[in-house]
Amino acid sequence: MKIQTREEGGCQVVAIVGSADVGASAALREALLGAIEGGAKRLVCDLGRTDFICSDALGVMITAYLKARTRGGAVCLAGPQDHLRDVLQTTRLDHLFDVFADVATAVRCCKAPQG
Amino acid sequence: MPSCPPETDGDYPWTEEVLPTRLDIIPEAETAVLSALENLGYDEDHWFAVRLALEEALVNAMKHGNRMDPSRTVRMAYRVAPDRVDIRVRDEGQGFNPQGVPDPTTDENLQRPCGRGIMLMRSYMDSVRYSCGGNEVHMVKYRQPRQGGMAP
Repeated sequence: MKIQTREEGGCQVVAIVGSADVGASAALREALLGAIEGGAKRLVCDLGRTDFICSDALGVMITAYLKARTRGGAVCLAGPQDHLRDVLQTTRLDHLFDVFADVATAVRCCKAPQG
Repeated sequence: MPSCPPETDGDYPWTEEVLPTRLDIIPEAETAVLSALENLGYDEDHWFAVRLALEEALVNAMKHGNRMDPSRTVRMAYRVAPDRVDIRVRDEGQGFNPQGVPDPTTDENLQRPCGRGIMLMRSYMDSVRYSCGGNEVHMVKYRQPRQGGMAP
């Protein structure tokens, strides 16, 4: 797995390229939590080139979501392909995260949750 | 510890591997099983489902079963036939009651970072059964969806 980060439209975009398996969780944690600790308020996980995700990686994304929220920020997901979209639906994490079809839409719409 | 599966079953024998309790060994273990699926022409959906369930089972066995104790091992056995994939994973831990694991899909548990592995295994495989006091899981994935419930 490779992680590519960039800034786009005021968002920190973290692209996960390849498999987000248990071996990749540490790097993913560092990238997401590091971005939040570095001051990113709106974080977009670009899943467009992510071909696999395990529960460990999902847990990292939830941890990032919670951490961002305590700081008034947001973590959104963008572009999951069929298998990942199915995992998000199966786990009902599509009810926790805002999931957008692509990065451009996510950057435009990613907002901190209300309440 | 007795071996999980019989050594052979018809034309498609079981393959058994004894794995060290190391997370970095998991991709290699998965590759062995997934290569067997590819050789028999299973599609991408089966490939993804088996990879996900196997990853969750191995991680659970190492983290929660063996508690990452390097002196303990995980036994993985698999048999890939044209109509079904069988996988057994056994750890050397204390075992557990799978019924006692909270449902991670309920609203009150949705924000918990952990606890989705068993649910994913059950969702992506056709049969998931625990035995040996929770130390061993036997998962089955059929090539064709089954009518009328689980097969034996």
